[in-house]
Amino acid sequence: MDCVNWVAKLYRSVIEDVIEGVRDLFAEEGVEEQVLKDLKQLWETKVLQSKATEDFFRNSVHSPLFTLQLPHSLHQTLQSSAASFVIPAGRTRPSFTAAELGTSNSSASFTFPGYPIHVPVGVTQQTASAHLYKVSVPFMVTQTSERASILQHPVQQVFQLLGQPSIIQTSIPQLNPCFLQATTEKSLRMETVLQQPIVLPSETVDRKHLENTTSDILVPPGNEHKTISEALLNQLVSSQYISFPGGVFTPQVSQTDSIVEPVLWVSARMTQNLHGPLSTSPQGAQHQHVLEAQPSVLKNRLCGCDSVKQPRNTEEPSSLPVSEKDSSSEMDLSIRVTDGDVNEIIQIGGTGETSSNDEIGNTRDVDENGLLGIIDAGDLKVTEEETGSVSNEDSSVNSSDNEDPEIDLLEEDPLNSGDDVSEQDVPDLFDMDNVIVCQYDKIHRSKDKWKFYLKDGVMCFGGRDYVFAKAIGDAEW
Amino acid sequence: MDADSDVALDILITNVVCVFRTRCHLNLRKIALEGANVIYKRDVGKVLMKLRKPRITATIWSSGKIICTGATSEEEAKFGARRLARSLQKLGFQVIFTDFKVVNVLAVCNMPFEIRLPEFTKNNRPHASYEPELHPAVCYRIKSLRATLQIFSTGSITVTGILF
Repeated sequence: MDCVNWVAKLYRSVIEDVIEGVRDLFAEEGVEEQVLKDLKQLWETKVLQSKATEDFFRNSVHSPLFTLQLPHSLHQTLQSSAASFVIPAGRTRPSFTAAELGTSNSSASFTFPGYPIHVPVGVTQQTASAHLYKVSVPFMVTQTSERASILQHPVQQVFQLLGQPSIIQTSIPQLNPCFLQATTEKSLRMETVLQQPIVLPSETVDRKHLENTTSDILVPPGNEHKTISEALLNQLVSSQYISFPGGVFTPQVSQTDSIVEPVLWVSARMTQNLHGPLSTSPQGAQHQHVLEAQPSVLKNRLCGCDSVKQPRNTEEPSSLPVSEKDSSSEMDLSIRVTDGDVNEIIQIGGTGETSSNDEIGNTRDVDENGLLGIIDAGDLKVTEEETGSVSNEDSSVNSSDNEDPEIDLLEEDPLNSGDDVSEQDVPDLFDMDNVIVCQYDKIHRSKDKWKFYLKDGVMCFGGRDYVFAKAIGDAEW
Repeated sequence: MDADSDVALDILITNVVCVFRTRCHLNLRKIALEGANVIYKRDVGKVLMKLRKPRITATIWSSGKIICTGATSEEEAKFGARRLARSLQKLGFQVIFTDFKVVNVLAVCNMPFEIRLPEFTKNNRPHASYEPELHPAVCYRIKSLRATLQIFSTGSITVTGILF
């Protein structure tokens, strides 16, 4: 999607330039720096909201901390203060430990040093790598550092294949019912890639050290893993959590915050795979805990993860198309099951994206006949009117003309503006319609055929902005 | 050649030119900026306004004189001129529709035969004038009708009339 992204880059550079340019002026005037920051934020937000450019924030992160709110629609993600978030997993050693996990009560917040990412519930993230992993992440990652990080390889490193357990830790919370469902539905055979240590609520400290173990996956003890998972799933489902391979799920934000740690579930398959590496801790004893705690844990986790978002818990479950919109394609992390279950590959954004098509849809539905719209260019005022002014004139023509021809020749003829006014359409200069603001090289007309040779302009077409250095158009009046 | 009146000659009025006055000064710039479908020719000091419904093009001068061309009938020319005046009125000018006059009507027709122009010219000496180097058609004037016909060798004839 780079083809559209450069517009965003251009806009961003414009914003940067302007802000830098006025910084001195602001300082001279005695205006605080904060005002400038606010201005910039406001500007960027507006650009985002207008959706004039896609992926405005796709590649950049300016605010140190930004959260993704569970969007009721995809648009909302854009409107959040942080349009995109990236979990640059792996870059910094996730230093969160069990202690950290345990600290946050209501929300499973994992502090990634350097990760200012709040992954809201229900976010499916896609790794840049080939590994897709369906993740519903009802957790919030709070950045401790100021560094703005870009979601480039979100889960890729986070949801590392075996061998990078520490990173996986971060993903722990992400594994959740969605995952479970996937397993049950498809009997996913998630590889051990999804080594997500299941943190049992009861096992606060101990489990948390799971991170140290690469293939440390707590699986609901063995055999009944499937049943367990199913049971849990049922519970989860009942707890209003729905996720399916499409990646759409409606996370319910419930208020129970008793549980601290997120519970990670491993698919049945995984359990099998992970059987080996299962931690040695008393599995048996955990069963019940797991069984019992998990639903509630999951619930809590689902809802509560985000301490900041507590107030948001009241949000109604929003169906979040997995793809958080094309714009957030990078934001999505998912790990593909390497097991080869192609169906499991949930691709958010990119070419394979399907789920959000209906949401995004409409920008391309206008077919363009040359250049339609209004061109403002200096002295030249050419208004392209495609409206039906004709229709009005039609009616007036039929109805009018009651005058005697000879009167006109000699006398002043009142135009009867009250009677025969032909309601020629007042040409409405639509603001919402497609508009081009540019300079012109040449505008040519032959009878009713127009040719436009334009340069250096911005076109707002279908709500989106396109910038051009040269444009040629044909139109018929 | 016989003018065979039984044969229906397709004669079509293709253009009617008319003028009228608005009796008020017109601010061309304002018309150019606010009017719809206008072309501002600042170098010559006139504004072209095109209308769609009676497809006409009006040339507007700041003095208030307006020439309206492109109509296909006199009636239509009248309609168009009035509509134009109304639109100017809407723009805010105190327009009075006066001195409407059809200035020119142009029609074409086709003869189903070709014409030998030099011979024709010889036979119609006083009325026809033919300068092949200047114009490939014979110019035949009918004084009584104040009509001018341009006769081409292919048989197509253009009839124009300037009424005063």
